[in-house]
Amino acid sequence: MSPHWQSIHESATSKPRLESRSIRFAGTALVLLTASMLTGCGVTSLMEPYKQTDAVIGSGEQVVVLARKHHSSHEAEGDFVECISDALARGDNGIEVHSSTQFEDMMYPWFEPSTAPLDTAELGELLDRPGVLERVEATGVRFLIWLDGSTDRVSSGGGITCAAGVGGAGCMGLAWWEDDATYDATVWDIHELANAGTIHADFSGRSVMPAIIIPLPFIARPQAKACRGLTEQIEQFLTSPSGDGEGINLG
Amino acid sequence: MNGTLKSSMLTLTAVAGCGLFAGCSSSVVVLTDFPTPLIEPLPVRMGVIYDAELYDFVHAEQIPQQSIWTIQLGDANIAMLEPLFDAMFVETHEIDDLPVGPVDLARLDGVIHPVLQRFEFDVPIGQRDEFVEVWMQYGLSLYEPEGDLVVEWTVSGYGKAELERNQEQAVERAAVVAMREVGAAISTQFVEQAEVAYWLEERQNESALAVDSRVGN
Repeated sequence: MSPHWQSIHESATSKPRLESRSIRFAGTALVLLTASMLTGCGVTSLMEPYKQTDAVIGSGEQVVVLARKHHSSHEAEGDFVECISDALARGDNGIEVHSSTQFEDMMYPWFEPSTAPLDTAELGELLDRPGVLERVEATGVRFLIWLDGSTDRVSSGGGITCAAGVGGAGCMGLAWWEDDATYDATVWDIHELANAGTIHADFSGRSVMPAIIIPLPFIARPQAKACRGLTEQIEQFLTSPSGDGEGINLG
Repeated sequence: MNGTLKSSMLTLTAVAGCGLFAGCSSSVVVLTDFPTPLIEPLPVRMGVIYDAELYDFVHAEQIPQQSIWTIQLGDANIAMLEPLFDAMFVETHEIDDLPVGPVDLARLDGVIHPVLQRFEFDVPIGQRDEFVEVWMQYGLSLYEPEGDLVVEWTVSGYGKAELERNQEQAVERAAVVAMREVGAAISTQFVEQAEVAYWLEERQNESALAVDSRVGN
């Protein structure tokens, strides 16, 4: 982009006719480039569900969605946990979802980053401690859903230049960036002390923002798609013995 | 990219503002309730000394290229430690000093003295750093009521919080996570300290002997 841009500036000082031709050329090139990038704009997804038991959620039973926090480099974002919790509870056939914060407070200090059980064997040991099982039963929670992962910007490029003058203002250029939302949802069945299964979700999205006078953002939202995809899959896990339900439409 | 542009503008504005008014400051007051731990109380009656330093703890630090931060943790210290010790021991009493007076000598098995020794935090400047981090270290000293030291134990806690628009709120959230970690470590690892385990055993033996002698009389 920069050599074109530079040539526009050079011609602007000396040859007015060339200037308008160059701007038209740059504009056309930008439109073509944008169009080619927009065709690649969007979200690609990969979902790998694996259900290990035929357990399903019963009437009056609840689930709680918790973020794995023991990694130093990343943890599932609070708003992502909230998105999954809210989406599971939504609708006429919504699942009863216990508040994550309330659950962690009620079970304190056993679900802090350093003390939370890392596998179902540790969960079994935890439930053997005095008062812990009774407290879990009081919450009504049967399934623990651990979310592990994060959404990260994996690459970005391009640039937009804006200028303002007496005659007006405008921007020119093209910027793009790519976000990757990778999460694992692990479902534990507290009644059976078993790992009910894992769902791996990898959603990648490229956003593009061309600017011809006005910047036009075409933003891909892989995290929102991952939330929707994981929620649908978790619902199937919890309501269908095989976990595959009636198929998923990720849109 | 729009966000990047915006955040760059905000940073520029903040730096320019700091330059103009020389002496930007960020103030955080950590105020929160801590849950009572779900643990079995130890069969000992404990006196607790809360120093004025713990009650009024303020961390002040100048971060290069940022601002002067003051973080008030006094109220949070007490909010974390009081329910913690109340749940850990069958009985607790706040006392002023060691050695204890005759009244406390009769009603206490030991005295615990918590101190906040170190507080460190990091607020990222770069756009790729997403977390505010807090690290805290408390010192716990266990004494006999007469004033003899049984054990000194250091407990640390680490907390991180997503950096959103408000840096102060992120620091507060990270501090709360770190303090919860400290509380979790104290409540779950206190009895695992060899000296504490031995001291508890001695107290139980003394109690058993006292019961035996009362039965004998």
